[in-house]
Amino acid sequence: MKSKFLKLVLPAFAILLAVGLAFATDEKPVVQQAHYLHPINGWQTVNVEDACFTGSNMACKYDIYQLYAEESESSQALYKN
Amino acid sequence: MSNQGIYPKLINLFNLLLTLLFVYTAASKLIHLDTFQTRLERMPYVSSYATLISWSVPFLELVISGLLWFPKYRLLALYSSLVLLGVFTSYIIIILTYSDSVPCTCGGIISTLGWRDHILFNTAFMLMSLLGIIWSNKHYNIQAHQKTT
Repeated sequence: MKSKFLKLVLPAFAILLAVGLAFATDEKPVVQQAHYLHPINGWQTVNVEDACFTGSNMACKYDIYQLYAEESESSQALYKN
Repeated sequence: MSNQGIYPKLINLFNLLLTLLFVYTAASKLIHLDTFQTRLERMPYVSSYATLISWSVPFLELVISGLLWFPKYRLLALYSSLVLLGVFTSYIIIILTYSDSVPCTCGGIISTLGWRDHILFNTAFMLMSLLGIIWSNKHYNIQAHQKTT
């Protein structure tokens, strides 16, 4: 009985719980628009996560380009934690 | 004797926690596979392998969590989980040390952890895998010794 519990019930319970939790905690990231200055194509717009508008530690970049809130280098440079 | 009795229970507990972690993160990645792939494409050093990684990592996680429950493959699964977590943790440390970009490809609610917390979290699970390997080997050696005597 104990062996059956360990072999069958426990893993099945763990898998169901994990899948359930994955769906339960599923949050669609809030997407906002950000901008970067491409040296040839000019200002480009991309979608970024909301976290880029609230953090302060690490630069949010698209490829190697710093992202800004507006199409201006004097606007808010985006960072996330 | 009592110490020998507790090892299999702890190994089962570690298996349970590792299964929860791997199935949860794999499911979270697969639910938003396109987002996971896009994030990988923006990450340094691995962007060229984004498609391959976006499929292989959740697949590996699911295979490992399955193998953990077959005694024959348990040791292999524990080694694999140690390697997988080790590679991911090393990558985070390298990126945080040498690159300006922010790595963020973890699944589900784990992505809300800070990077220091994330490294600690991974280290805790790596420790579980390592202890599982050591105790499984010990258990195997005791059984082998009992069979030969």
